[in-house]
Amino acid sequence: MDDPEDKQLIATARSGDAKAFEDLVNKYYGDMFKMAFKWCGNKNDAEDITQDACIKLARGLDSFKGNSAFTSWLYRLVINAGKDWYKKQSRHPSNPDELEIVPAKSKSEDQLYAKQVLEAVYELPEGEKDALILVMSEGLSHKEAGKVLGCKESTVSWRIHEARKKLSAQFEKEQSYG
Amino acid sequence: MDEAQLKKIMENMETPEADQNAQKRAVNVAMSEFQDYQNKKSKKFQGFSFFSRLMGNSNSKDRRNTMEQRSHKKLLQGTAMLVAGVSLFALPIAFEQMSQTVGTGVTVDSVQLKKVHFETDVDVAQAPQKSKPKELNRSRNENIVVADMAFEAEESVVEGLSALSAPATAPVGIVSMKEGKKAKGRMKAQQGVVAGFAEGSRASSLMIAPPDIMPAPSYKDVGRDKFEDFKINPIKLVGAEPVSTFSVDVDTASYSFMRRQLNNGVLPQKDAVRVEELINYFDYNYPMPESREQPFKPTVSITPSPWAEGKKLMHIGIKGFDIQGDRPKSNLVFLLDTSGSMNSPDKLPLVKNSLKMMLDNMNANDTISIVVYAGSAGTVLEPTKAREKRKIIAALDRLSAGGSTAGAAGINLAYQLAEENFDEEAVNRVILATDGDFNVGITNNEELKDFVERKRKTGIFLSVLGFGQGNYNDHMMQTLAQNGNGVAAYIDNLNEARKVLVEEATSSLFTIAKDVKIQVEFNPKAVSEYRLIGYETRALNREDFNNDKVDAGDIGAGHTVTAIYEFTPVGSENVSVDPLRYGEVEEKAVMTNMNSEYAFLKMRYKLPKESKSKFITTPITDENDITGVFFEDPTILHDIDFATAVAGFGQILKGGQYTGDFTYDDVIKLAQSSKGEDNFGYRAEFINLVRLAKSASDMQPR
Repeated sequence: MDDPEDKQLIATARSGDAKAFEDLVNKYYGDMFKMAFKWCGNKNDAEDITQDACIKLARGLDSFKGNSAFTSWLYRLVINAGKDWYKKQSRHPSNPDELEIVPAKSKSEDQLYAKQVLEAVYELPEGEKDALILVMSEGLSHKEAGKVLGCKESTVSWRIHEARKKLSAQFEKEQSYG
Repeated sequence: MDEAQLKKIMENMETPEADQNAQKRAVNVAMSEFQDYQNKKSKKFQGFSFFSRLMGNSNSKDRRNTMEQRSHKKLLQGTAMLVAGVSLFALPIAFEQMSQTVGTGVTVDSVQLKKVHFETDVDVAQAPQKSKPKELNRSRNENIVVADMAFEAEESVVEGLSALSAPATAPVGIVSMKEGKKAKGRMKAQQGVVAGFAEGSRASSLMIAPPDIMPAPSYKDVGRDKFEDFKINPIKLVGAEPVSTFSVDVDTASYSFMRRQLNNGVLPQKDAVRVEELINYFDYNYPMPESREQPFKPTVSITPSPWAEGKKLMHIGIKGFDIQGDRPKSNLVFLLDTSGSMNSPDKLPLVKNSLKMMLDNMNANDTISIVVYAGSAGTVLEPTKAREKRKIIAALDRLSAGGSTAGAAGINLAYQLAEENFDEEAVNRVILATDGDFNVGITNNEELKDFVERKRKTGIFLSVLGFGQGNYNDHMMQTLAQNGNGVAAYIDNLNEARKVLVEEATSSLFTIAKDVKIQVEFNPKAVSEYRLIGYETRALNREDFNNDKVDAGDIGAGHTVTAIYEFTPVGSENVSVDPLRYGEVEEKAVMTNMNSEYAFLKMRYKLPKESKSKFITTPITDENDITGVFFEDPTILHDIDFATAVAGFGQILKGGQYTGDFTYDDVIKLAQSSKGEDNFGYRAEFINLVRLAKSASDMQPR
């Protein structure tokens, strides 16, 4: 998954080259921010989390062993940074009032529906939400998501199953009233 | 719902573009972290066994790894407890400070603690890496359980630790300033507790040199404080430009900001130093006017210039009428910035404590409201009488910081409250407490200025209290205060809060004269050149003096304002500008009996509720020269000398373009000899600051 250019960049940065490290951070900042945003659902927090993740990257690059894709390693870094950040803030992510997640533009009723679904996703238990984001939104396999989240493949599958069950219950009921 | 549908929704959700500035910030922070880490990696730990020897059981068995996660915080806590333990004796000092007594001598720089924050997680992405330093920390942790006091504030303990490690690991020049907006949310404990730790850890850092395996401070986000750029006043030829016009300035923000920088061991940016604000920080005993009708009286004295032979200094001192006892009622709206950037112990918690202190000194009938703004603005306290203290304090205690800064919306709301509650008889004032980081809504200085200016005409004035550092927008504060007929003060610690909000509450809240302008016309027969020290940002055009529409500074009850001109009398050998070879371009007709006049002082002011200005004039002659004159009461002499010392200091900080070989030592000598009574220790503190500046400048590369 990683192209050779990146591999080279990572290796140079690991050897202590500041320029290479700077290029690396610049190159991946966008991806990290996007991930952080999807994870916490709000731009301000996402910026803070991404910054913390960059700091972790400075210290943690040494521990990247190259046996997983760099991007999924970054996902893990970002999610851990996010969890730590909220711990420090002593509040919980995705407070519905602060959610800035917007579904893609489409027909207005579709969009409204999508927004409701997304809001519901962010109210799910954290593990389920994380799994959904990685698998559904980022397109990781259950196995990859398991690596990122530090759990077994089967756990990811289970969480997704649970999440879908909850979402279905919620939305089918509403639709039947509608 | 089916999987495909859910997947489509989630795949297509929109994410905003990453913000360029945020990216830059993150990259910078990460870079400095990276450098620190690389440096540390290359460092060999010697004498490691020295520490392990202290342990009862080195305990490196595997089962501990499962505790690893938990111990991250704990080990830091433990280390900080060492700090706390060692410095227990220092705590009482800090507590005394907290209880808001007048801690002379000691300046708790509560700042110190939060500026550096380091990542607690060495172990990223949970790859268990056993680094020696960590183990070392852990071992220390185990030894020091003794100091197991009930410090629950984990995060703040971490801050305390970082304050300790800072002086040892980073060169003094860099340690100081980092904390930008991004250092949000590191603090959850009460400011008081933290201040205690800060004091404690500072004290202890003097005694034990922390081993350099301590985590290094990570952020060094310097220089996002914004100051208006200005040039220092040049020497002017009386022949070419005989008239000098400026507006009074009673702000003191520049002094406190400078103090904070110096306490951190660095010289302040040149643009942060406004000499007139340094001078006006101190109170001088100029004679007071007799009545409120003529609200102030100028006192002019001429002395030889200590830094330029053959030149003289002209001190213009003004003391405002002091309303004793009869404080007018006040209708105050506190507009508090609770955005994320305010989330550090020297910001929001300091604001809260300052206001509580002020509350103690208000009349029962004064009205107080509180408006906060962050991402959005809201009223947290409807207009309430000051006697309902508990309600007000409860409202203050509920505040916490988070989100972006929609300053403009907040200002709107605050003015609206003040207007609803407007009282003809009372002082109607909005008091804004912020770090000046307005990043949502009207963010343009000019627009905000226009807004405040319009509101000023309705009789509601604005004062600005600045907090924090690293992201402090001085320019914005000055603009707002100057256009809102208010005072801009910078509050760096509780002591300063007491000075501004309690001791000087009358002068900063109760304006006795507004739009005070000073114009000095020099006599070309007696004076060849002159230079106004400071007031660069307050300069007015000559024609503005008589134009009542032009806004200028205000004087509060009991305020003193000092302006100092340096001038060269005709005939002095020390002229900076060579005389013209081809003679005077234009011969001015000056009557002979005026030859003994150096200059003519004119002042214009308006009484607070009037819009037409009044006029005071006085000639400045030989008689104002106090060189060699004997004074029975030396206070006034001391005051003048002290003001001169401060002026000298300010100019040296700004580069010393005109102060010749006047040094920090000369400043100290002059200030020492003119310290006078110094009841609150402000002048002693000044002398200390000069010493700090001296050592900071010695350390700077030339």
